[in-house]
Amino acid sequence: MRGTTGIALTVGTVLVVATMAAMPLWAHHAFTAEFDSNKPVKLRGVVTKVELINPHSWIHIDVKEPDGKVVSWAIEGGTPNTLFRMGITKNSLPTGTEILVDGYQAKDGSRRANGRDVTLPDGKKVFISGASAAEAPPQQ
Amino acid sequence: MTIRGIGLITVLAAIALAPAASVTAVAQNKAWTAPRTPDGKPDLQGIWSYATITPLERPAEFAGKEFLSEQEAADYEKRRLQEMNMDRRDGTAQADVTRAYNDFWWDRGTKVVSTRRTSLVVDPPDGRIPPLTEEARTRTAARAEERRRSGRGPTDGPEDRPLGERCIMFGSGGAPMLPGAYNNNFQLVQTPDQVAIVIEMIHDARIVPLDARPPLPKNVRQYHGDSRGHWEGDTLVVVTTNFTDKTNFRGSSENLRLTERFTRVAEDTLLYRFTVEDPSSFPRPWTVEIPMWRSREPIYEYACHEGNSSIAGVLAGARAEEKAAAGAGR
Repeated sequence: MRGTTGIALTVGTVLVVATMAAMPLWAHHAFTAEFDSNKPVKLRGVVTKVELINPHSWIHIDVKEPDGKVVSWAIEGGTPNTLFRMGITKNSLPTGTEILVDGYQAKDGSRRANGRDVTLPDGKKVFISGASAAEAPPQQ
Repeated sequence: MTIRGIGLITVLAAIALAPAASVTAVAQNKAWTAPRTPDGKPDLQGIWSYATITPLERPAEFAGKEFLSEQEAADYEKRRLQEMNMDRRDGTAQADVTRAYNDFWWDRGTKVVSTRRTSLVVDPPDGRIPPLTEEARTRTAARAEERRRSGRGPTDGPEDRPLGERCIMFGSGGAPMLPGAYNNNFQLVQTPDQVAIVIEMIHDARIVPLDARPPLPKNVRQYHGDSRGHWEGDTLVVVTTNFTDKTNFRGSSENLRLTERFTRVAEDTLLYRFTVEDPSSFPRPWTVEIPMWRSREPIYEYACHEGNSSIAGVLAGARAEEKAAAGAGR
């Protein structure tokens, strides 16, 4: 593993808001039911497996903890269908790739997190947002 | 905008204003005629997308305004994309979790509909869904009460979770179809006596007979209802009834009668309109219009149940919360 700095776990302030103005249209499930806003995690690890499955994809990484122990984490992502349209396949994130994950840990304390932001060590986003490939054509 | 663009908008606007029966006349008055299948019907086949950021109901800011100008549409798109941008890390941790992943994973479209309407609801003219009837509100309250009495909590088991979370059916896939966060695509396949409506979202297919066979008996109820199709001129009309009481569309009951209309109004435009009729839930029928555009890509499988580890995560999260609450109360 290259340049592993291990795992930093930080606890943020809870600010409970009654309504979510930024709530997306419809997603598969309520992310707040699965992941804990009190448990933000920053992970650095190497990809061991990518599961492009529905309804949510999973990126599995091995993370070296400060004591040198290697632990596996599963990082949840969105639907693979969107990724295919953007040209991302299972081979886009080869085994052994080092990534940084900025997300939130599962409420039950297991080593699962949502991949809020996934970046390469140089800071480049793995999944770079932009105009979708499934974009409406310009009006004729 | 090109002359052709203005023409298309005029056609769509005319269709929107005209009674359903004259859709064919309006469309055919223009030079363009839909290509035909071997049996002479308009060829509606292909993969169509309904991704758009036009809201279902007209926002208060556009009250009394049915269409946006080109400039207004551009400004609205820019502002909405910023508001919905999941790359943002501002706001509370709760809001941050809600956004879940960066914008790359979401595919809800970036444009308003090609007609530049301010809402997908076109009737009532105010672009808003009519308020639920007293009967519908009573029904909802009674269900909530029944549920409370049953003693089951919303996270006691998988059966207590919403249908979408359980990968049984998704609200956006329909019937009827409405834009959602991703997978806003469907495929239409025609034969002389059947039409298949294949929805990417959760991979559902509705097989619609066109042979005027009688509907299913009233006691046979289905999540997606029971659909029958027929042609009215160049428009494919699909009427769906026999919904269950386990689903509702914006507060509808099992008595919902849904009428969908598919008209190919240009090479790459499929005009989709549906009307919701359910006197026990809405004081009047209401209609939605979405000009769908032809996708150049295939639709992909969305085998939701097979990979649904999220529901285990949601239930595990609930157990963890209960444990923490019990510990705090001790």
